[in-house]
Amino acid sequence: MSVNVRRPVPSLRGLMALAAAMLSLTCLTMGLAQEQTTAQTADQQAQRLLAARCAVCHSTDLIQQQRLPRDRWEATVKKMVHWGAQLDKGEAAMLTAYLAKYFHPEAGPVVALPAASSVQADQAGRESGAAPTPVGVEARGATLYKQNCLPCHGEAGSGGVGPKLAHNPILTQADRFRTTVSQGRGAMPPWGAVLRPQEIADIHSWLQTLK
Amino acid sequence: MNQDNDPALSRRRFLARAAGGAALALTAGPIGLLMDRAEAGETAAQTQDPLIVHVTRPYDAETPVQEFLSWVTPNDRFFVRSHFGPPPPERIDKATWRLTLSGLVEHTLTLTFDDLLKFEEITVTAVVQCSGNGRAFHRPKVPGVQWERGAVGNARWTGIRLRDVLRRAGLKTQARHLQLLGADRPVAETVPLFVRSIPIEKALHPDTILAYRMNGEPLPLLHGAPLRLITPGWMADSCVKWLMDLTVQEEEAKGYYMQTAYRYPLHPVQPGEVIDPHDLKPVEAMVVKSLIAAPQQGATLSGGTVMVQGVAWTGEGRIARVEVSTDEGQTWEPARLVGDDVPYAWRRWQFLWQVRGSGLRTILCRATDDRGQVQPMASPWNPGGFLWNGVDRVQVQVTEA
Repeated sequence: MSVNVRRPVPSLRGLMALAAAMLSLTCLTMGLAQEQTTAQTADQQAQRLLAARCAVCHSTDLIQQQRLPRDRWEATVKKMVHWGAQLDKGEAAMLTAYLAKYFHPEAGPVVALPAASSVQADQAGRESGAAPTPVGVEARGATLYKQNCLPCHGEAGSGGVGPKLAHNPILTQADRFRTTVSQGRGAMPPWGAVLRPQEIADIHSWLQTLK
Repeated sequence: MNQDNDPALSRRRFLARAAGGAALALTAGPIGLLMDRAEAGETAAQTQDPLIVHVTRPYDAETPVQEFLSWVTPNDRFFVRSHFGPPPPERIDKATWRLTLSGLVEHTLTLTFDDLLKFEEITVTAVVQCSGNGRAFHRPKVPGVQWERGAVGNARWTGIRLRDVLRRAGLKTQARHLQLLGADRPVAETVPLFVRSIPIEKALHPDTILAYRMNGEPLPLLHGAPLRLITPGWMADSCVKWLMDLTVQEEEAKGYYMQTAYRYPLHPVQPGEVIDPHDLKPVEAMVVKSLIAAPQQGATLSGGTVMVQGVAWTGEGRIARVEVSTDEGQTWEPARLVGDDVPYAWRRWQFLWQVRGSGLRTILCRATDDRGQVQPMASPWNPGGFLWNGVDRVQVQVTEA
């Protein structure tokens, strides 16, 4: 015996309306997701700049304890660029936007930094790959050294706030050199979020040429 | 506005303290125990708690205020403010280190460390306080290290009179300012050096000293070894560490740290107001101030009689009185000034509080000096966040006895 089950048959018009609604919802969420991804990327880039351009001179706890409006952050970043922070116009703007977004006067005592872990993840991702150790290019290393390492390690690796690197025994151990640079050590911030393995290898090659 | 009217800030202060003085907090209950320890010369230093660190590099850290039950702040518990961090050891090695004095002098001097020891030695017990101590309490917030209460300490400074060295060189008649430069250097050469100057009158003051000992020990590295300036009664922006170069000149020092930073408006200003640079003067003398060292913020008390105590100090005058309020400043009762009364040092004070009732209670203290300066409820806002001296405030929980 068969049982007739009455199913409501959707009208064509209803179907179309539903499809349209779903489509617009999809578009909306896609747009939202894209915006979120863009914001997340900007945050991550700003965090890399903090580690690479600001933490050269001072730890970032100095930054995180500030609660300033946008104009004060603009003035502060401008002052730091004037004092030698290696930021181009776009980077300075990105950093200012990030600082004003998280460290504003209403931010409360503890600021949650959503993208903090993704910097780590990105760094881990770069290191976990089974890719062979890249071969360094000395000429590129000289430029990268000047931009990133010189303030602490001195002209031609002669040392300064950080240890002397010319003829430093660590240069004979490429793996240890790469780990130390990418993960940081003591007062030295981790550079893994900023320098790619190829770039670290470039710097390593150049340092080995120093007399 | 007052510091603890901001619940977020109170929580932050509490958290900072919880992190900085965990071991001490365990012994916070019996005030008598803390007193005995302080009087026996045993201080919190023995507990080896970290200071409250605001910046890890270059190092900026303040002392938990409960340690100010001790009149003298031990060297390893004294707050540290670094612009660039200590110089490399070879630059301040006593064997090769030199102090030079040049500029508007009859004879340029180059002194070895041993040369300094040939001048008459004096000891001054003086408060040294960061100009930005209490910056975190300004509203709206201002940029800079967010110091709360403990960027201050009281120590015995031993050295020689700066004026004896200046007289040895002989000042020319145009001499108006003494420029000071230490051996510390920034990471990048593009960052301005910490060049400061003081007016020649302060340099010639008999109590202004070139100090090489702190609390009887050789000046520690973080506090300016081998030599720092001590300008008693003035804020620590003048107390240049790792001192190497003195230059007598007609004008104030040039550069960021003298012409822009460490300046204070001559007239009250509104946040955001554009201030004519001529209306800013260097931060110099300290303003009258007091702190509650016990009981601690967040302590639980069982009522009865509670000993409230702390320290009070001022710039170039003396502390005349300290008062305590337990009703949000409606009425004030005098505290007893105790212990040594020495110019430039801080004065200890005590107040016996007869606690009635229970619940959350607030203790305020304020000091007045012999020149009539009184601690205000909140300090005037200024863009650098300097010279905070609003009444100190501690909140405690009183339980039924």
